Amino acid sequence: MTRRAVGVLGALLIAVTAAACQAGPSPAVTLTIAAVQGVEDAGLKAVAPTYTQKTGVKINIVESPYGDLYTKLVTAFTANDATYDLIMMDDPWMPKFGTDGSLADLGALGIQKDPDIAPVVWDVGTWPPPRGPVPPTEKDKTAQLLGVTIVGNVEMFMYRSDLTPTAPASYDDVLANATAQNKADVAGYIIRGKATNPVVADFLPILWSFGGDVFDEDWNVVFDSAASKTAIDFLVNKLKAVAQADPASTDAADRDRLMAIGQGYQSSVWPGEINTAVLDPATSQVVGKVAFIPIPKGPSGKGVGMMGNWMLGIPKASQNQQAAADFIKWMLQADTQKTYAQNNGIPSRTSVLKDASLTAANPYFPVLADALQAPPNWRPRTDQWNAVETILGNHLNAALAGQETADQVATEASAEIRTLMKGAGYPTQ
Amino acid sequence: MTLALRLRSGWAKRSRQEQLVYRLLLPVFVPLFFVATLPFLIAVYESLTSSSGAFVGLANFERALGNPALYTSLRQTAIYGLVVLPTEILLGLGIALLVHRTVSSPGVRAAIYIAAMVPIVIPQIAVGVVFRLVFAPDYGILNILLGSTGHEQILWLSTPALAMLSVATVDIWQWTPFVYLVLFAGLQAVPQETVEAAQVDGAGPWTQFRHIELVYLRPLLLLVLFFRLADVLRVFDAVYVLTGGGPGTTTEFLSLYLYRVGFRFSDLPQASALAVVVMAGMLLFYNAISRFLPAERA
Amino acid sequence: MRRRGILVRAMTYTALAAVFVFFGFPLLYLVSTSLKPRPELFVAVPTVLPRLPSLDAYAGVLFERGFAGLLVNSIVVGLAATTLAIVLAFAVTYPITRLPASRRTRTFVLDWALSLRFLPPIAVVVPYFTIVRAMGLYNQLPALIIVYTIFNLPLAIWMLKGFLQEIPLEVEEAALSDGASRWQAFRMVLLPLSRTAILSAGVVVFAFDWAEFLFAFILTATPQAMTFPVGVQGLVTQFEIIWNDMAAGGVIAIAVPLMLMLVARRYVITGLTFGVIREK
Repeated sequence: MTRRAVGVLGALLIAVTAAACQAGPSPAVTLTIAAVQGVEDAGLKAVAPTYTQKTGVKINIVESPYGDLYTKLVTAFTANDATYDLIMMDDPWMPKFGTDGSLADLGALGIQKDPDIAPVVWDVGTWPPPRGPVPPTEKDKTAQLLGVTIVGNVEMFMYRSDLTPTAPASYDDVLANATAQNKADVAGYIIRGKATNPVVADFLPILWSFGGDVFDEDWNVVFDSAASKTAIDFLVNKLKAVAQADPASTDAADRDRLMAIGQGYQSSVWPGEINTAVLDPATSQVVGKVAFIPIPKGPSGKGVGMMGNWMLGIPKASQNQQAAADFIKWMLQADTQKTYAQNNGIPSRTSVLKDASLTAANPYFPVLADALQAPPNWRPRTDQWNAVETILGNHLNAALAGQETADQVATEASAEIRTLMKGAGYPTQ
Repeated sequence: MTLALRLRSGWAKRSRQEQLVYRLLLPVFVPLFFVATLPFLIAVYESLTSSSGAFVGLANFERALGNPALYTSLRQTAIYGLVVLPTEILLGLGIALLVHRTVSSPGVRAAIYIAAMVPIVIPQIAVGVVFRLVFAPDYGILNILLGSTGHEQILWLSTPALAMLSVATVDIWQWTPFVYLVLFAGLQAVPQETVEAAQVDGAGPWTQFRHIELVYLRPLLLLVLFFRLADVLRVFDAVYVLTGGGPGTTTEFLSLYLYRVGFRFSDLPQASALAVVVMAGMLLFYNAISRFLPAERA
Repeated sequence: MRRRGILVRAMTYTALAAVFVFFGFPLLYLVSTSLKPRPELFVAVPTVLPRLPSLDAYAGVLFERGFAGLLVNSIVVGLAATTLAIVLAFAVTYPITRLPASRRTRTFVLDWALSLRFLPPIAVVVPYFTIVRAMGLYNQLPALIIVYTIFNLPLAIWMLKGFLQEIPLEVEEAALSDGASRWQAFRMVLLPLSRTAILSAGVVVFAFDWAEFLFAFILTATPQAMTFPVGVQGLVTQFEIIWNDMAAGGVIAIAVPLMLMLVARRYVITGLTFGVIREK
């Protein structure tokens, strides 16, 4: 029995070593991409095999849900591990990665700024940011291109054009229409209110269109200004009154589902959700009945869209930086972008967005092209954004759940953000 | 005599067998002890330094213990424990008494025994998935049943009070069987003669319980309480899948709070300080209760 | 008197039936959801049972999503860590149960082992991450194997100690007085008698390794080293909740420990209480 036991043990150890050595060198280059699971990487997954056919470079896509991906990236960067060659990052994450110096300079790897792509796309991928407040520790760094957009997301607005053919021009119209259309089985407005990233993403365009903001040019907190308070009140009181029953737990998937089965009248929407969820021919009942417009104007006189670009970046620790950069260049080519768009990808090339052959299947592309040129606003570029977003998100979510008043949201969130930013070395007042 | 000489002659006085004990034990146990204690030492080190490596003394501890979010988290954990522990223990005790007193068929008892083990061996993550399917809006089984009777759906996971109850239900679902199995075995060990003697003396079922069975069960009840208490303080997986700590911070219990500080905010110095505090707390907890654990530790 | 007896029995069985429903129904719904094809997830009024049961979700989880690889990882890590834990536990338990170790030594070892049961894993994840990072083992299976071995050693020690204590010392002494060396006595006499101990401790330890989530989640990054529970958790995403795939993952995650439990059912409680409560 002992001999057998030793034999089994030996076999086990060999098997384990073999399994652990899977990471050994392989003949061809393999690029490992950390991607976000969901609609945003659908296009990437579709076009990657074409690249492999063309160049022989294998592409290994590792997906994680949104929150987990952020944790995974932070952990991988702290471990300084060559696990990932390319990472998908939501643009608000880049300040942290840029501040920590975890990403490679794409300009040095040969990626040029193409004028066919809207300037804001290049701006959002540059660190330190070319406009808006810059974190104090970053002011003296030279600007580098650290990320390139592959999902040209700008938040838009959608409404049931079969119920009201005229588009709402302002948020007053939005509220009026919502009140009129609100019925037992049709929500006048679908609030994406889940904590923390969802509700903040949904709310920031409203905040900005009302003239409010989180920070001003010098990192002072202005979330409790009069304009901001009006915006908060608009969301948690006025819109909530005509919204679906459970705003505090509604995330994008739920919002899309409600629209798709005809139980919602209007909401904000990310382009990535449109063809894959809201207008998915397999499951949607509202194909042809929904129209897409830029964010409506608020009392400030402007409608301010928010960008939520997903960018590809290259970790400094990667062993395949040049190969990764070549992949990015290929992704940006016009022909790739067209195939990408035909597979539920959101292209960033203006020429592709305005391509007439794609407009039939993607009616919102021209709107998106104009939105990118506007330009839209981006989330505050600070490495503390994750914590700030958590504070904002928790309070907004609590208000939507009926636990806090609009005033409390403004006052308490602002106080907490001030403490946080000061503790992180910002000159916040 | 010098210390070295004294040790050497003391060692020589031991029998060969006793020497063998240490020759076998030390090479394995000492490295093991070291490897297991190393994290604690690292945590202490990281808690005394900033993220750039500079020594900052107790600054991280001040930040960690001065953060009101920590106390919110502790309060929520306490609420969770106060809901979960009495319920599990009373429910488990009740079912154990019920089966013990009124079910006599060994086949049924064996079936209950096997069935009771099922929730316990399910991985915590899977339990989270199971109850996601129970509590989810629109698609959860509870809301389907409510919908079919014409009721509006209830948001079990995003209404604060209900979220706490839902998460508590998960723990109760998984661990009441554990309490049941332990206490049931304990009831089996109560000597029949004592019970029969009491019954002959005219004792009713309640008196019987209070004066006989409870006495035998007391050590087991304490044991179960301690193990469940320790587990309640460690809960993570199922809550992470169900609510992620939400809505807001309603279900952000201690472990989830530590996770958020360490991995969402990646504030490793503060997380290390918290870890040191938690580990020290656990050590104190263990020392306090270790006298109640069976003396059979040797 | 008899009528009261029947009434009590009826109430008892009703109560027990209610308990069974409470515990059994969620599991039933899990299995039922795992058998639903994708279109049935998008109907306006979801049903309890699938209308057209199918194994699509299982195929999807294992093959399209590649979880079969995660399954292999979980099994490999579980077997390796369990083996290591049992071997090391023997090395520690043998001296303190079969040899005249001092009471202080025994108490110290066992006490230390038991205290680890009360440690929240989250508190040590950060330091272990630092260690793994320093050793260059991030996103490698050996990292998980080592961590799991350490975490399960106390449990293995306590379970083995309980069994070994019950084997009379005379058995080995007889072999020794016949001229066998201590190693031979161990191999030929004690080891065969410890078969039950090894099996039960091994099964319980494997079940814990199988279910472990937090460390696997933090210490791995790609399917090369990820384990099954991490994959299951990842099915809950921001933009789609693929209920049937999630349920299928859950069913597979449950099936393995369930099968093990049937084998080692006498030792489940012993395992959970680190041997403090011994099953008869």
